[in-house]
Amino acid sequence: MIYELCKFLAPYSVSFSFFRLVNYITFRAIMSALTSVIFIFLFSRRFILLVHRKCLLDQVRETGVASVFDKRGTPTMGGVLIIGAVLISMALWGDWRNPFLLCSVAGMLWFGLLGLWDDIAKVKQKSGDRGLSERTKLVLQGLFSLIFAWVCVGRCAPLGCALATKVCVPFYKFPIADIGPVLYGLFIFLFVVFVSNAVNITDGLDGLAITPSIFVVAVLGVFAYVEGNRIYSAYLHYAYLRGAGELMIFGAAFVGAGLGFLWYNAYPAQIFMGDTGSLAIGGTMAVMSVLLKQEFLFPLLGGLFIAEALSSQIQDKIGVKWIGRRIFYRAPLHHNLQHKGIAETKVVIRLWIVAGILALISLATIKLR
Amino acid sequence: MAVAALAAALRWKRPEASQARVVLSGGGTGGHVNPALAIAEGIKAREPQTKFLYIGVRNKAESVIVTKAGYDLRYVCSEGYPGLRPSFKTFRFLFKLCVGIVQSLVILTVFTPRWIVATGGYVSAPVIMAAVLLKKLRIARVKIFLHEQNSIPGQLNALMGRWVDKVLLTFPQTLSFFPNGAVVGYPIRHSIVPVGEEEARKRLSFAIPEGRLVVFAFGGSQGARTINRAIVDALPYLLEHRERLFIVHGSGLACSSGYNAAEDTLRRISKVLGEDSPGLLSQFYYRKDYFHNIAEIYSISSLIVCRSGAGSLNEISRIGKPVLLIPKANLPGDHQVMNARAMRNAGAAEILFEDTVMEEGGLLEYLDGRVLAEKILALLEDRPRLKEMAEKSRAFLRREAIERIVSEIFDDKRFADGNGRVAPFRDLVGNCRLLRMLGQAHAAFGRSFDPALVVDDGDDLAYYRHRAAGLLSQKGWQERNLGVKLIGLTRHSEKIPTLLQMLSDRTPASLARRMFGGDFEQVGFIRRNIVNALMVIDRFGPEVEKHLLDAMEDPYFEVRAQACRAVTHFGALLVGNVSCVQALVERLEDSCFEVVIEAARALGEIGTEPGAVRSLLSMNQAHYWQVRNAALQGIKRMIERGVLTPSDRLMADLSSFILTSTDFRPHFQIKETYSALRKCFEGGDAIDYCRPTAAGSHKVAGKAK
Repeated sequence: MIYELCKFLAPYSVSFSFFRLVNYITFRAIMSALTSVIFIFLFSRRFILLVHRKCLLDQVRETGVASVFDKRGTPTMGGVLIIGAVLISMALWGDWRNPFLLCSVAGMLWFGLLGLWDDIAKVKQKSGDRGLSERTKLVLQGLFSLIFAWVCVGRCAPLGCALATKVCVPFYKFPIADIGPVLYGLFIFLFVVFVSNAVNITDGLDGLAITPSIFVVAVLGVFAYVEGNRIYSAYLHYAYLRGAGELMIFGAAFVGAGLGFLWYNAYPAQIFMGDTGSLAIGGTMAVMSVLLKQEFLFPLLGGLFIAEALSSQIQDKIGVKWIGRRIFYRAPLHHNLQHKGIAETKVVIRLWIVAGILALISLATIKLR
Repeated sequence: MAVAALAAALRWKRPEASQARVVLSGGGTGGHVNPALAIAEGIKAREPQTKFLYIGVRNKAESVIVTKAGYDLRYVCSEGYPGLRPSFKTFRFLFKLCVGIVQSLVILTVFTPRWIVATGGYVSAPVIMAAVLLKKLRIARVKIFLHEQNSIPGQLNALMGRWVDKVLLTFPQTLSFFPNGAVVGYPIRHSIVPVGEEEARKRLSFAIPEGRLVVFAFGGSQGARTINRAIVDALPYLLEHRERLFIVHGSGLACSSGYNAAEDTLRRISKVLGEDSPGLLSQFYYRKDYFHNIAEIYSISSLIVCRSGAGSLNEISRIGKPVLLIPKANLPGDHQVMNARAMRNAGAAEILFEDTVMEEGGLLEYLDGRVLAEKILALLEDRPRLKEMAEKSRAFLRREAIERIVSEIFDDKRFADGNGRVAPFRDLVGNCRLLRMLGQAHAAFGRSFDPALVVDDGDDLAYYRHRAAGLLSQKGWQERNLGVKLIGLTRHSEKIPTLLQMLSDRTPASLARRMFGGDFEQVGFIRRNIVNALMVIDRFGPEVEKHLLDAMEDPYFEVRAQACRAVTHFGALLVGNVSCVQALVERLEDSCFEVVIEAARALGEIGTEPGAVRSLLSMNQAHYWQVRNAALQGIKRMIERGVLTPSDRLMADLSSFILTSTDFRPHFQIKETYSALRKCFEGGDAIDYCRPTAAGSHKVAGKAK
């Protein structure tokens, strides 16, 4: 809104020429980050009280690790705050005609609402294991991924048709192959579903999901800035993506919201993000990396999420359901570490460190190609 | 098509169609056919002009019994429902059903019945479906009646019940399934009437020596393999009492490729008793495939051994005899078990459950002949008890069943009573629910846990144990795993040898599974749960000890850890056991820290010599704090047990332990206060602080919710 207003006013008078500042992406990025942090600081306490009053509290889940039992009764659905903060901040500072922004916001909202439904179902059923059925969730996630994949490889792809189906890998300058719209669409479909669930699985300890997500989104924001800038992209040999810079503003708003949320979510948490938050974050990260052509960087950048999701799936689908034994002591990864006798806070901070290192390595791929 | 329908509709309106015509259907086994014939007899008695047509399936019980009774019989195609899983059988079933429905449509249109009486069984499925179709299309003016013999409705009746005019029920408990039900009882053919014992003996085709107690064993019209084999196996034990017993055995009509009752029984007799069986058995044992004059056999019997199908139970009740029931397990809704429970609760029966064993490469229900013989002898010993059971048995039957049914069919409301709703049976619980119930009880009571108190009925527990044992030989490991857990929680100690054999079974898993880390056919979880089940059953012996030592070498870490835990559990019996301590000390070197922890604890429980202490002390710098903790716990336990005396030397050794830890337990003061406060609420009346006293009481009341 402010962006539109300023753009509208700037040409009219010399005294408004100050408003040209909004044409600078960096300025808008910083402002949007600040806006979302302030939004969260303003509304969190009230939101937490509201959630308490409505009894939207975290329900017990059988995980086999003792400390989880102490946590029942913590308010959940903090994702609503994150999504709200990002939306408000983008409403003020975003350019809503930008297809990159629209795709990302659509992803965040779809997954967020799906998560919200799941959270409410869990509260109603009074059990952490009985929200939406796994199948319903997968179908709804798949539906979005399908539409998104179709948009991405279709005629009105935000990336442009020439680049849409090319495969770009980290540490290499040129696209290595063009695998055609069907295969690429299938890949995007699976990628989005997998990543959104990966964050959902990671979200098990206080502050565990949010900080690595901040790292990932921040790095993706840097990529957005580079690829959306004609000079930098030419200098660093990236394909120039017109309008991708808007994703940096989106990312900044997200980082701001994440920091604000961490304020309350840090151990011991006063609020959980719930499926609302984890699915929304997962969906956003997946959509952003696809839009920036960094899906093959994601296994490195979001390696923590991948490891969590894989450990959980291997343990459950191969170990427990098929060969009839545990492959890891416990799954996902963070429960395994807890089971080995590492305190929750220590596990969280160690995994932050791991996520930070991975983010740094990923950032290095900008130049190391 | 429309013309044909119109023609058919007109046929039903013909004047001669008003003459009573009845289609009977139902079959597969005698339990479905006999009630249909009994109802036919009832209708005939009231309206002798009635024409009957029986619709059945070729080569089933009805083709023998109905022809003998002298009714017209037509055959249609039908097959039993093969279950939900799609397969070739499903297609064959659907195909046959469709053909059967078309055949039934033709037969019904030609015969134009006024009433259709079906007694269940897949045989009647096409007939009922065709009739419902004709009725819904308003072609046929026909009234459809279903009769349900069992306490739990069969699949067909449960499905079609709501579409027919009336469901006639045997047990009042079944009313909860059918809003259009009427309790009528079980129709028994008029040939089943009590006969005086002397009279009956005279009419028999074989002679029974004077002064013998007659035991009549049979497994329904088709025969039951378990009962046939069990009674033959019991013969050697019963032979000892040959001067006062006589066994009559109805082995059944079954002669399919799967089981030929007569042949199998004869082979078994010569196997069990050797070559001279005819000589041994003369004047003691009489066998025949099927007794058409079954009432006479009932009348001379002192005790009857049979399956608990509704038909047999009601016939026996009509004659009034005590009965030993061997229900067939895992039928839909466990209806035979339910029937047996109903009769046992009435005081007229005793129940024995079969066992499931692997034999000849397949699963078989099996009942030990010795157990059966002992039970029979024990019952026969107790004369007053037998007499009482006979009385109760006579009172079990709902009288005038046929009259009630005929009254329902003619709709004359002669019996207005007797439809009082009775509380449904306390259900038998499913395996998973049972597991949960028992698991919770075990967690709450620990060693003093008693499954009988949870299940609340000895016979139910026996049945659950039987069902769990049946799971042990299933193909899927998940089922076997469930079976193992249930065996443990029901404390089925007779199955310990089977469990131990499974624990040491080293049949490798399929190659695909081994590639992903699987090892044996009895997967890791099963082996772990077997060790756990041994702890829950809480019976120790040399065999168990040997297998626990083996389990400590198991390739799967959870089994090793659980085995160490089991040693702790049986600690008192293993104190100072050298081989056991040796095995535990080896486990302290295990690559998996969980095992080391459990081994250290177990060592504290059973270790006596200095070597054990030394190895515990040597863990002072272990990487995992839990290991160090467990070592300290072990040493503490040794001091408590008095095998280790505190000394300065020991103190010095202990102080070398690394005491830093990567874990801690947070404590939230507010949560502690809250839970302390909650404890105050246990017992005692709370002060009613919500009473409206002053302004603002509203608010308080609102919050109190």
